[in-house]
Amino acid sequence: MSTADLPLPTVWPALQAPPGPVGPSAGPIQVWLDLDRRYHLSVFSLGLACCAVEFVALSTVGLSTAERAPDEGGAVAEVLVVAGTVTDKMAPLVRGIYDSLAQPRYVISFGACSDSGGPYWDSYSVTKGVDQVVPVDVYVPGCPPRPDALLHGIAMLRDKIASAGVP
Amino acid sequence: MSTASLAAADLAAQLAQRCDGRVSGGAGDLTVDVRAERWVQALAVARDELGLGFFDWLSAVDDLEAGLWVVCHLAAVRSGSPGAGGQLGGHLLVRTIVAREGASLATATSVFAGAAWHERETWEMFGIEFVGHPNLVPLLLADGFDGWPLRKDFQLQARLQRPWPGGKESAVRQVPR
Repeated sequence: MSTADLPLPTVWPALQAPPGPVGPSAGPIQVWLDLDRRYHLSVFSLGLACCAVEFVALSTVGLSTAERAPDEGGAVAEVLVVAGTVTDKMAPLVRGIYDSLAQPRYVISFGACSDSGGPYWDSYSVTKGVDQVVPVDVYVPGCPPRPDALLHGIAMLRDKIASAGVP
Repeated sequence: MSTASLAAADLAAQLAQRCDGRVSGGAGDLTVDVRAERWVQALAVARDELGLGFFDWLSAVDDLEAGLWVVCHLAAVRSGSPGAGGQLGGHLLVRTIVAREGASLATATSVFAGAAWHERETWEMFGIEFVGHPNLVPLLLADGFDGWPLRKDFQLQARLQRPWPGGKESAVRQVPR
């Protein structure tokens, strides 16, 4: 498990907007919620096949270089990296692991198998992508992708979180 | 004469003779084909009289209209050799064939208890019922799975929408007319 801090969201233009009445026009509220979107990503690997080895390669080299001490009081977002082949038999367990994660939570699908079924696209037992079971935020293609592709995926997720508005 | 010193060909010939079977080439390995009603007896003879005490695996092959072959790989383990578990001596395949419709065969678990998992998987994948099996319930497939996926007539749902895009291996490619 490794952590990486988020860049500051760029929300100052919204703060400089003329203050309106508190109510349905939720501009100021959104600003403050966005300011809280500075998570330390707690990355958890669900290794189901050979792609899991690439995660291990990154966790021993790449993630530690990106790791920084979390700010005091910083919130933690949990990131599930599904690395490998999801089968129909395994799918309910993947969903169970996702459900057990604390909010906020995100999912990275790592590799062709969890993206779409990959080389097992016509198999009788392989799920055609983990997004049939859990919502996926970032897909990393490759068979397998290189470890730095996972690092890129994590960085992409970080930017996506930082730039996202309040739903 | 030690059974372990018998050549595999001798083992196969003896097994075929005692169980009213025949020696065939099979898929390259030495193979003894027996009738389904002699299946359990053949395995018992192989274990008790021919020294083939190591049950390696059991599975099946779909031979289309001919039926379903049930195949079992047995080996003799020599004791007292270097290494912890002895070393493999002679080994051979024992086969029998059952009809596709209502495929069933007597369980081999009375001879090799370790065959239980193999028979569960073979039942699940090929739809061959092993009569007398202690726990014939699904092992690998998802709950509610319908069909026997390793039979050659099993329809892959994904290929209904997108046909197989590749070519066949050259060995099985049909000669153009």
